[in-house]
Amino acid sequence: MSSRTQDRRHYASGLCESSVIPMNAISFTGVSKSFGAVRAVEALDLRIDSGQAVALLGPNGAGKTTAIGMLLGLVRPSAGTVGVFGESPDTAVRTGRIGAMLQDGALVPGLTVREVVDFVRGLYPEPMPLEEVLSLADLASLAKRRADRLSGGQAQRVRFALAIAGAPRLLVLDEPTSAMDVESRRSFWASMRAYAAGGRTVLFATHYLEEADENADRIIVMAAGRVVADGTAQEIKAAAGGRTVRFTPGDQPTTGLDALPGVTGIEVRGGSAQLSTTDPDATVQALYASGIRVRDLEVKGADLEEAFLSLTGDN
Amino acid sequence: MLRYLALEIRRMYRDRRFVFFTIAIPVGFYLLWSNIFARNGGIDTDTGLDARTYLLVSMASFGALGASLTTTGARLAAERQSGWLRQLQATPLRPWAVIIAKVIASMCLALPAIAAVGITAALTQHVQLSPGRWAAMVGLMWIGTLPFAALSTLIGSLVGADAAQPATVACYFALSILGGLWMSVSILPATLRHIAHWTPSNRFADLGWSVVAGHTPPASDAFVLAAWTAVLGALAIAAYRRATVRS
Repeated sequence: MSSRTQDRRHYASGLCESSVIPMNAISFTGVSKSFGAVRAVEALDLRIDSGQAVALLGPNGAGKTTAIGMLLGLVRPSAGTVGVFGESPDTAVRTGRIGAMLQDGALVPGLTVREVVDFVRGLYPEPMPLEEVLSLADLASLAKRRADRLSGGQAQRVRFALAIAGAPRLLVLDEPTSAMDVESRRSFWASMRAYAAGGRTVLFATHYLEEADENADRIIVMAAGRVVADGTAQEIKAAAGGRTVRFTPGDQPTTGLDALPGVTGIEVRGGSAQLSTTDPDATVQALYASGIRVRDLEVKGADLEEAFLSLTGDN
Repeated sequence: MLRYLALEIRRMYRDRRFVFFTIAIPVGFYLLWSNIFARNGGIDTDTGLDARTYLLVSMASFGALGASLTTTGARLAAERQSGWLRQLQATPLRPWAVIIAKVIASMCLALPAIAAVGITAALTQHVQLSPGRWAAMVGLMWIGTLPFAALSTLIGSLVGADAAQPATVACYFALSILGGLWMSVSILPATLRHIAHWTPSNRFADLGWSVVAGHTPPASDAFVLAAWTAVLGALAIAAYRRATVRS
């Protein structure tokens, strides 16, 4: 058998494999990054499928921005390899497969919003039509304004427009809502979801649990350069120690409350009882059924601080 | 790359005050010096040119040097600090294309400065050259700004936004003085005269002096300028890469 036939057979089997296994949009394999003595990212192993919206959740200094920098080829890993659609980050950026919204990316002075967006569009091989970008980023009314004379929230929208202008298959957003008020945030995430709905992959970094909860299919929690939790919002919340149910028992006895379904801990302080639970629905139902008069009932999700403390505490 | 170049040029010319000063300063100095020195009917001993014509080249060089040096350095440093260049790094635009576009854009601002001094010389001091010599002078001097534009991008990639302005001005003055743009190199001390011979600014002005005096510039001018361009350009690209990628 000639070697050429063998080559062809290898090639054919390669094709079969790639059509069966969906290609990862993002892969980190044993990636570490140190800045001097500071280990920003340690032994990161991550696979993200095409078409997902994924949140990278973590406090400041968790390594989110460094991980994103490596994904965009802006930061070189100290060890390991990063792949974007099976290629190097540099290649993926050069061929226009990635669009990015960086933290504090100031806008270029001296140009209008339309000019900046149109310019960045033109750098990509298959950009989105200009009017579509402007309307998706809610910028139609600001198109003629100078890009360097906008409010913080408006400038963030322009940055978002720059990130999507080239219609990239992978959209990367580093703490996109940091300069926005509540209303801007809401409309920003609506824009992001509209963009992601086209089967595109979105990775965003945030330190707000609610944002990750509402906008991501999958949440990757990072702390001190490592992944400490990875899953859906429900799984993350469960791993973060569930929620709390609080009420005022008055002078009723609080013994036996820790036996209610889902309850993992109880704390009575200053006339109010706080139950930690993994299943607040079941706990509340059982609480009413127990015959105790319940006043001032409050159900709270675990806040992020607690979540990080508990998640990093496990490691 | 062409789109980025167009964008840079558009931004540059939109800064009207800046464009005005890059033109007004050399024209103003030309009027001042030529009115002082041309009265005495002085002849430059090195080139054999009369003062008005000699100063035409000196001030056109001075203006072109200023325009190509000051346009990019501070601006590039500020863009680096503000994150705009990082944003560009995340697009398909390549780093070398950014540098080349910056260099060409700086050169584009040198052209009006050279032309304005030329027009002033012709109109107020009755400097007469054949159309061919005018064209050769402007053309050669425009291309000759290449090493300064490269130096400017190098400064912008190396130092922060605060230091870029003074660093640029220091280079501007040193190159002007050593290049013999303010006063003839022949009156400098011997050591400086030897250094002057190898500076890009002296060789740059020599292109102009040779052309207006009616002879072809020496090939060594082209070599020295090309060598400076190659070295400064390579350093600028390396410095820019170092400044934008955290390794």
